[in-house]
Amino acid sequence: MKTWMKIVLGLAAVGLLAAFLVYTFLFNKKHPDYEKLPAAYSLTARELYDAFVKSPEAASSKYTGKVIEVRGILGKTETADSTVIAVFVFHQGDFGDEGVRCSMLPKYSQEAQRLQPDGEVRFKGYCTGFTGDVVLEKCSIILQ
Amino acid sequence: MKTRTTFLLLLSLFVAGGAFAQKFITKTGYIRFYSEAPLEKIEANNHVVNSALDLSTGGFVFKVLMKSFEFQKALMQEHFNENYVESDKFPNATFAGTLTNFKEINVGKEGVYEANAEGKLTIHGVTRDIKVKGTFEARQGKLIGKAKFNLTVADFNITIPGNVINNIAKTVEVTVELTMDKAGM
Repeated sequence: MKTWMKIVLGLAAVGLLAAFLVYTFLFNKKHPDYEKLPAAYSLTARELYDAFVKSPEAASSKYTGKVIEVRGILGKTETADSTVIAVFVFHQGDFGDEGVRCSMLPKYSQEAQRLQPDGEVRFKGYCTGFTGDVVLEKCSIILQ
Repeated sequence: MKTRTTFLLLLSLFVAGGAFAQKFITKTGYIRFYSEAPLEKIEANNHVVNSALDLSTGGFVFKVLMKSFEFQKALMQEHFNENYVESDKFPNATFAGTLTNFKEINVGKEGVYEANAEGKLTIHGVTRDIKVKGTFEARQGKLIGKAKFNLTVADFNITIPGNVINNIAKTVEVTVELTMDKAGM
């Protein structure tokens, strides 16, 4: 085989390999494992809620889109479809309890349902924003 | 600012409604975006939609966190947040409007009622008037709302880059499902 043909075939093989790697790692990129990611912030649920109530825009810039670890006294748990939501309650608004809502990862559903209100808990989750409640999703239990 | 004022004004109707107002709420409403384009079907699901309905005035509001939309592909979710809806700048989508036929809905009489909603939808900082037809089912003291409608992406200044434009349809089908409880329950 002539040298130039070998070079062209070699470059083509490298190109195919690069395309395969881009496809595998980029287009098939996995969602973040929020359970394993370190928390950007660790604070009480009360502090987190107060930050958003006091200044929603500033708190959103700081906390939304970040993994947050919160601790505090559990108010209650709710179930919506198959998702268990643990709630820290700090205010009674016109639309019911307001505070920090943590939607649990499926693997923590059963454990979360066994949590007792008024107990100290610690969760880690991904903050998606503020609706009157601070919303954390993909939550894991760190300490019961 | 004008949109936020409208949203807050409508929200204040709930506050002023008084103890006997028939307020229904959910914090776990469901919204799905679905688009079908030549190269790909794209679906995003949000299970933490806030909505409130006051059956004494027809006031009807939604607040939707854009970062709560989940896509099957992580890269698509990244592009959605960073490039299309710019969720760092515009973290919420809101609807502030009224259920125009609210007087026809009787929570005490179980059954499915037609629901006609009109109001202002704000996505990506752009507000548009919309009208949506759906249903509310009264069942065991709850209201179960369902609706399906289409949105044109460009109407909200959402620009799809040229290299992925064939992956994403210009029109997105929106599905809404709510199970609303009486406030204070």
